Amino acid sequence: MFITLLAGALLNGIVTGMVYAMLGIGLSLILGLLNIPNFAQGVLYAIGGYFLFSIGQALFGFWVGVLIAPFGVAAVGGLIEYVGVRRLYGVHPDYILLLTFGLALVFTELMILIWGPVGITVFPPKLLTGGVNLGVTFYPKYRLAIMGLTIALVFGVWLFVEKTKYGAIIRAGIEDRDMVNALGINIHRVFTVTFAAGAGLAGLAGALIAPIQGLHPSMGIVILPFAFVVVVVGGLGSIPGAILGGLLVGVVQSVMTIIWTPGADIVVFAAMALVLLLRPQGLLGKR
Amino acid sequence: MNLNTHAGTRLFPQMTGLVIALVVLPVVMRPIIAADICVFAIAAMALNLIFGYTGMLSFGQATFFGVGAYVGGLLLIHVTQNLYLALLIGTCAGALTAAVVGYLCIQRVGIYFIMLTFAFNQLFYFIAFKWTTLTGGDDGLPGVPRPPVALASLEFTLDSSLKYYTFVAIAFFLLFYVMKRIVESPLGMICQSIRENPDRAAAVGYNVQLYRWVVFTIAGAFTGFAGVLYAMMYGIVPVEAIFWITSGDIVFMVLIGGIGNLYGPLVGAMVLRWLSETLSVMWNRWPLLSGLFFIIVVLFLRGGCVEILERLREAWGKLELRRKEASYGIAADREAD
Amino acid sequence: MALLQTEKLTKNFAALTAVDQVDLSVEAGTIHSLIGPNAAGKTTLFNLISGELEPSAGRVVFNGADITHLRPHRLPHLGLGRSFQRSSLFPNLTAFENIWVSAYSCAGLGIWSLFRRVRDLSDIRERVEQILEEVNLVHKAHDKAGALSHGQQRALEVGITLATSPTLLLLDEPTQGLSPEATQEMVGLIKRLGERYSILLIEHKMHIVFSISDRISVLHFGQLIAEGEPDEIQRNQLVQQAYLGGRK
Repeated sequence: MFITLLAGALLNGIVTGMVYAMLGIGLSLILGLLNIPNFAQGVLYAIGGYFLFSIGQALFGFWVGVLIAPFGVAAVGGLIEYVGVRRLYGVHPDYILLLTFGLALVFTELMILIWGPVGITVFPPKLLTGGVNLGVTFYPKYRLAIMGLTIALVFGVWLFVEKTKYGAIIRAGIEDRDMVNALGINIHRVFTVTFAAGAGLAGLAGALIAPIQGLHPSMGIVILPFAFVVVVVGGLGSIPGAILGGLLVGVVQSVMTIIWTPGADIVVFAAMALVLLLRPQGLLGKR
Repeated sequence: MNLNTHAGTRLFPQMTGLVIALVVLPVVMRPIIAADICVFAIAAMALNLIFGYTGMLSFGQATFFGVGAYVGGLLLIHVTQNLYLALLIGTCAGALTAAVVGYLCIQRVGIYFIMLTFAFNQLFYFIAFKWTTLTGGDDGLPGVPRPPVALASLEFTLDSSLKYYTFVAIAFFLLFYVMKRIVESPLGMICQSIRENPDRAAAVGYNVQLYRWVVFTIAGAFTGFAGVLYAMMYGIVPVEAIFWITSGDIVFMVLIGGIGNLYGPLVGAMVLRWLSETLSVMWNRWPLLSGLFFIIVVLFLRGGCVEILERLREAWGKLELRRKEASYGIAADREAD
Repeated sequence: MALLQTEKLTKNFAALTAVDQVDLSVEAGTIHSLIGPNAAGKTTLFNLISGELEPSAGRVVFNGADITHLRPHRLPHLGLGRSFQRSSLFPNLTAFENIWVSAYSCAGLGIWSLFRRVRDLSDIRERVEQILEEVNLVHKAHDKAGALSHGQQRALEVGITLATSPTLLLLDEPTQGLSPEATQEMVGLIKRLGERYSILLIEHKMHIVFSISDRISVLHFGQLIAEGEPDEIQRNQLVQQAYLGGRK
């Protein structure tokens, strides 16, 4: 019996962990390249879920929704960078943080305004309803699909950043922003695209997890601290780090819930503090 | 940023202005809201000390606010009816927590410092959230009484909102004076030098880490004190008091009021609560507007409301000058020839 | 015994040895210049002495005390003051406040003075006014340091260093970036200071070095290749080679 519980918890942990990882990769890219702790990352995640609901559930069906939602959020992200963040680059870095915090509050209110203050249920696509017998436990199809999808996506992002020319620019920018600028590459466009990409990943994470957790306007505010733990534990600017961080957070949270429920979240944040103190560059970070 | 380093010249009018503002406040707003303003203004003053003056942006002040509120609240419910004792112990709890958390956080600077304060805030939040037997968890800690205040041989009850406001306003005024003295003291100067250039501050002989720690702890004390007042204000300690959004609200107030300015925190608290009071009757989603206002301040008006006032004063001055020119029929600067 | 003495002071950075077993001694009451081609390790040597960098090997002895591993904030209290090649000021504080905060640091007023008002501490104010006069910044006392001209900032840089009442001044290229007139003023200031303080000076302008120094040490690729009085150094072959193709 306990084995079933544990297996279920582990699998759940991996599912949420991979979603955290995606959210974290987005945050990590923005943090690594732009040196901005994007306090709006949580609400971008939430908006992704709400976009899925509006486009998918209300209009064109799940698959269209899950395809479009991330790009919608990416557009929002790009707009934020272009109109707001960009003005603050020369100013003290704290101000960018404060801007994103203000946006988090504003967007939360907008979500209540547009979709109402009550929680919304999102249904998984018909193809993925129901469960699969894995021997040790019975597990929902949708969650398995997410696991597979997120692993593939995250691998894709990693490939892009590690192996493509554009990815090289991003990595170079994380290492030395001025040098990239000096090489004649339009660093501002890179910033906008990176911010948009980071937002898009958050939106995708939110869309994918919506059928599992449901939607609520406060979900952006609630998830943000966890996104930070992922990035801090994994390492700023490191994609493998965000994956590792995400999985650690997801699995620890999930398993702790069946061992010592109150401890789950406490352990997560104690770990964050510990990493910051002992190894501030994170487990896989470089700086 | 308008950094009013040592403008002690127009002291008297400004302090009088403060007293007038405090007297008028419960008239233009409901007394309980006026009290809320003063309580948060105390917490905002504390953040202003570590952020505006010392350059450390803490996104976790709710930790000490919440600790003060819970400790004060629990004492008043279970242990004592002595208001002063509850305030004292709540303040010490805030200071002690800040001493421990602060010691750890200052090991890092910049963004890591911010994230450490944030992480510890969440840590304490979840402890408060899950320890339902102690704190009531999500339901909050209800039944915090407002014991009477003893002064000399007299005893003042605080049963009405107006009476409570009077108490809180006096407390704010006294703490404001303490903060003023801190800011105008050598300690205040040292803090500013740390903000401006920590390496040089060290090179001229200051143990920068020690000062950062001391100032962080002082801020924790102030914030803990505010927490106790908060617990008594509504008679309940909601778990939101220790949530990171409250930390953000405090940052909000300091920014809107004007960073590094003594009067900024009160102005910021007033503006935020005024917005909520007047806007909330018109529109349920008023936080949207205050959030937008915050964003505008961050993007364009980094000196906050105090800067707005200063610019108005400047503009008024220029207007006056031009009026004089017009009435004398000459341009003022031509007199130099 | 020398006022400041380094013993086989060394600093390695991965593959590069920036400072290589330097034995430098500065006698009290002298103006001692440290010269050498670019990247010879002069500022690194300063950083080792003042505690900004940890040495890989060797010792630093000041006034008989081993200060090798002391952190920077302890040194002004022992009498060692240092200025920086790139002005390290408090930009949003006024010139007056810049010097004030430095003066207060070593004034020895005790912990209770922390609770008094800045404007009531008249002793410190007098000292600050003295220094402002010394560096010719009285007319700019209430301007923000960040708004001063480059020359004024270099003067303030020295003023901040003086305010801690040091015995030995470590001055890192005080004339850096100054116009000829401002350079003359700064040289005059250094000469005057030389009458009351011991000075270890990093300088690139040779005419200054040879005119005001009592002793000169020459650093090249981190090594001390020559030391002596100005005319000895001028005639020294090694020094000339080090500067080959170089500067006046």
